Amino acid sequence: MKEFLKVKNINLSFDSKEILKGLNLIIDEGNFVAITGASGSGKTSLLRVICGLESPSQGEIILDNSLLFSREISVPTEKRNIGLVIQEKVLFPHLSAIQNIEFGISSKKDKQNLSGEIMERLNITQLAEMYPHELSGGESQRVALARSVVMRPKLLMLDEPFTGLDKDLKQKIYPEIKSILRASKITALMVTHDLNEVKALADKCFNLESGQLTEL
Amino acid sequence: MKINKFLLLALLIVPITLVFLTNTNEEVQNEEVNIYTSRHYDADNFLYEQFTKKTGIKVNIISGKGSALIERLKAEGINSPGDVFFTVDAGNLANFQKQGFLQSIQSEIIKQSVPVELRGENDEWVAVAKRARVIFYNPELVSEGEIKDINYEDLASDVWKNGVAIRSSSNMYNQSLVSSLISNLGIDETEKWAKGLVSNFARKPQGNDRSQIMAVANKEASIAIANTYYIGIMLSGKGGKEQLNAAQKVKIAFPNQNNRGAHINVSGGGVLKHSPNRENAEKFLEFLLSEEAQVHIVNNTFEYPVLESVKPHPIIESFGDFKMDKTSIADFGKYNPEAVKLMDRVSWQ
Amino acid sequence: MITSVFLIPILFIISSVFLGFSDNFYHLYENLLLEYSLNSIYLVAGVSLLVTILGVSTAWLVTFFNFYGKRFFQWALILPLAVPPYLLAYVFTEFFDFSGTANNILRDLFTTQSDVIFFPNIRTIIGAIIVFGFTLYPYVYMVSRVAFMNIPASVIEASSLLGKNSISTFFSLSIPLIRPAIIAGVALVAMETLADFGAVQHFAIPTFTTGIFRTWTGLYDLNTALQLSTMLLLVIFIFLSVERASRSKIRYVNSVTTSNSYKPIQLMRFKSAAAFFVCFIPVFIGFFLPVLELINWSSQVDTLVSTKIFLAASNTLYISLSAAVLTCFIALLINFVVRTFGISQLLNDLLSLGYAVPGLILAVGITKMFTSVDAWLINYGTFITGSILGLILAYIIKSYAISNIVLNSALNSIPIALDESAQTLGASKLKLLRDIHIPILKTGLLTAFLLVIAELIKELPATLILRPFNFDTLSVSVYLLASEERMFEAAFPGLVIIFFGLIPIYFLNKLILSNNK
Repeated sequence: MKEFLKVKNINLSFDSKEILKGLNLIIDEGNFVAITGASGSGKTSLLRVICGLESPSQGEIILDNSLLFSREISVPTEKRNIGLVIQEKVLFPHLSAIQNIEFGISSKKDKQNLSGEIMERLNITQLAEMYPHELSGGESQRVALARSVVMRPKLLMLDEPFTGLDKDLKQKIYPEIKSILRASKITALMVTHDLNEVKALADKCFNLESGQLTEL
Repeated sequence: MKINKFLLLALLIVPITLVFLTNTNEEVQNEEVNIYTSRHYDADNFLYEQFTKKTGIKVNIISGKGSALIERLKAEGINSPGDVFFTVDAGNLANFQKQGFLQSIQSEIIKQSVPVELRGENDEWVAVAKRARVIFYNPELVSEGEIKDINYEDLASDVWKNGVAIRSSSNMYNQSLVSSLISNLGIDETEKWAKGLVSNFARKPQGNDRSQIMAVANKEASIAIANTYYIGIMLSGKGGKEQLNAAQKVKIAFPNQNNRGAHINVSGGGVLKHSPNRENAEKFLEFLLSEEAQVHIVNNTFEYPVLESVKPHPIIESFGDFKMDKTSIADFGKYNPEAVKLMDRVSWQ
Repeated sequence: MITSVFLIPILFIISSVFLGFSDNFYHLYENLLLEYSLNSIYLVAGVSLLVTILGVSTAWLVTFFNFYGKRFFQWALILPLAVPPYLLAYVFTEFFDFSGTANNILRDLFTTQSDVIFFPNIRTIIGAIIVFGFTLYPYVYMVSRVAFMNIPASVIEASSLLGKNSISTFFSLSIPLIRPAIIAGVALVAMETLADFGAVQHFAIPTFTTGIFRTWTGLYDLNTALQLSTMLLLVIFIFLSVERASRSKIRYVNSVTTSNSYKPIQLMRFKSAAAFFVCFIPVFIGFFLPVLELINWSSQVDTLVSTKIFLAASNTLYISLSAAVLTCFIALLINFVVRTFGISQLLNDLLSLGYAVPGLILAVGITKMFTSVDAWLINYGTFITGSILGLILAYIIKSYAISNIVLNSALNSIPIALDESAQTLGASKLKLLRDIHIPILKTGLLTAFLLVIAELIKELPATLILRPFNFDTLSVSVYLLASEERMFEAAFPGLVIIFFGLIPIYFLNKLILSNNK
């Protein structure tokens, strides 16, 4: 298996407070990696660095053999082709579920095919015409997931996406995600503090502590 | 905490308002005269002050658009505090009188000093100053021969194609001019004339009279129709150097000198029907028609005086004597709506 | 009670329809109505488009990017709000006239001929659109700016994660998201454009409003003029209702979401310069150009400051402050009642109509109401008519729409659940208003208060007709001098109006910025 995501020697600090210190991470293609850690340990920041929402002070990021970040260049977020699903509700409130899912697709033809397929997969076809404020927490997260996956990202990142959902729902969602990622051959990186979640989904797990990762 | 300050402010303001209110009511006790005027020249303020100095009568002013003042007076009706209605629009004045809102002026002094055509039918109003609506031309574009003996009627002729500058038909001076033509020529003839005039426009009607004179000076148009006092203000230098230069480039022509005379408009006033201070109102009008006040008016507003004993401002006088149209001013009011509709029909903007 | 005070003047205007249509109406119908309507539609459409472009683009730049001059522009962009459209119209006509400053400067630079014209005639519909656009866009700028800042950073980030760059995020996400705010701002601008008389009259453009006045002053037919006003009101009322209906299903970002705001992107070289110019042009045309020209005019007058101007200035401040306090108070009360007693929003739409009625026409309605109250109160004399109180009432009716728009949206962002939980805790309605709504609405109240002041300082037509004896405000002084063609002398009181307008704008800006934190 080839090394798909390479994160090398990343430093990140906010207001002279060091969050990540020479952090390294390698993920193989098609793998599902989980990261755990205490709150405030910089898990979310790491994801934001990878997708380009934060700029580290040093380091390199390479995804699928193309350089995303180094001292010289920084590919803007919208060109990195990385998906991110977070706990906060970030569905666009003025668009219906299906409009949300189709938001990032540029060609008209693809829109219907792709969104229809993904919605069937995630069992949310019946939600298509509903607006975000009419959706429950679990439904919103599934739509958000669909919105990211439909872009066929090279890397899908999940930031505690299921916190706040009840247990039964989680048990239902895990296999759906697993199958969808496998079918689309998407590499995934998830931040969580729920060890059950790690067991259910991850191939590998790291712990983030004092700015560095250690494999568990 | 900001909200508390808000409330405090509100609490403060309401009593102050009440104080203001009671204040204005108390003043009613004093000798005063309440004037509703659409003439708002600074020169008039000086006259009000002089009047108060002379008679001890306080002058209260509310100024605004003539038609709006009329509406306020109508609404106030019998309770109106208004004593004098004073306006620059003769048509409006005549129309207002016709609806019975003015009472006859008693003053013998006024009746003796003002010619009969400058008073209402039963002395309901009296003119205080006159202005003529005349033709201005650029001598570099128009020859003496072309302009000599010109009549308003001639402006419809093809000779003046793309040559005439005049302001919008919403302007009351134009409405009065067209009304006077209707009175003399009848509606059909006037409409034909207006059609011809519109086809001769050098530009879309815009700006005020002064801007028409400027257009002639700048050769945007060869002739313009405008009131006399505008050129007076421009030539006096009160409007700045640029206007003075422009005014020196144009010449004045009084139309219809071989027949009825040049169109005259007046500004004037009358005593309101329900005037609570009728005597003061008459004193005020008498004062405006005194030599002293007339001299002040002509020297500051460049209008023509109503009293024969007073001479116009030297600049205005230098244009020479001319024959004035004596068409009844009551007709201006009578035909004004017809005039407006007529101008609408010929697309005079 | 309060409602009826608002509605009587408007009902009076509407009642004209039942008095039958005169020949004049048919005359207008045959000759002019189409032209008036078309011109008004062009004007409103053009102004709406221009204020949207100017207001939204500048608000977007200032919110989402860092560029040269941004700190200056984020408050300077509001400045044109202090300039009344009629003042800019005066300045424009003089400035771009054949012999105006603009043509003179270019003539000096490029040619020796004295009759070359560089600028096309400004007294056209396009000219009027420019005048209204550049003086009124700050309404759209302000609401858009606040709305942009309220979009959670995560929502914007989600868009870039889905492959959209800044510009495509702007069009496909940011604009649709703040659509209600933009529409509210544009609605204010449209109503103000329709009600304005000074600027269109100065430009001699036959619009619906000029038509109303022409009918009144030329045809001596007030009733037909009121009928035309009613048509105008009807159009606006339909517009307001349709707009409300169109967004009933969709929810937008509400300001309660606690989320850190978006980190602005640093623009470099060319892009930074471009952003600078996009922001500079509206501020220059809408504010610095008129102010410089007015200063230029003032400098040609010998005596600037007189007791008269001082009096007019204190009158202006006094009356707009009192009216603004009362307007906000009433708007708060009505909105609260509408909310807690479940009364239709239609009521607010009706009350807001006063804003769109041409000031002079509204004044006529108000005069009729006052005089009948006077006749009923006391048999002799006029108590309210021509009093300060009357003028303040007119101001309140006129400016209700502004405070309502601000308070209404602020109130809507408070979840109903909050009211309900307060009530289950045994809070009375009064307590709910005093201890919960007012503290939460503080910013909204202050914004409404400042906007109303900024608006009333410029108010002209209602003041002109309803004011007491010997009571001049600054706008009245400017109008009287300008109508006498004494532009140079009118310039100084004009500058004072602008200066006073800057005070509420200063505080407004502080509010917007503190909202950012």
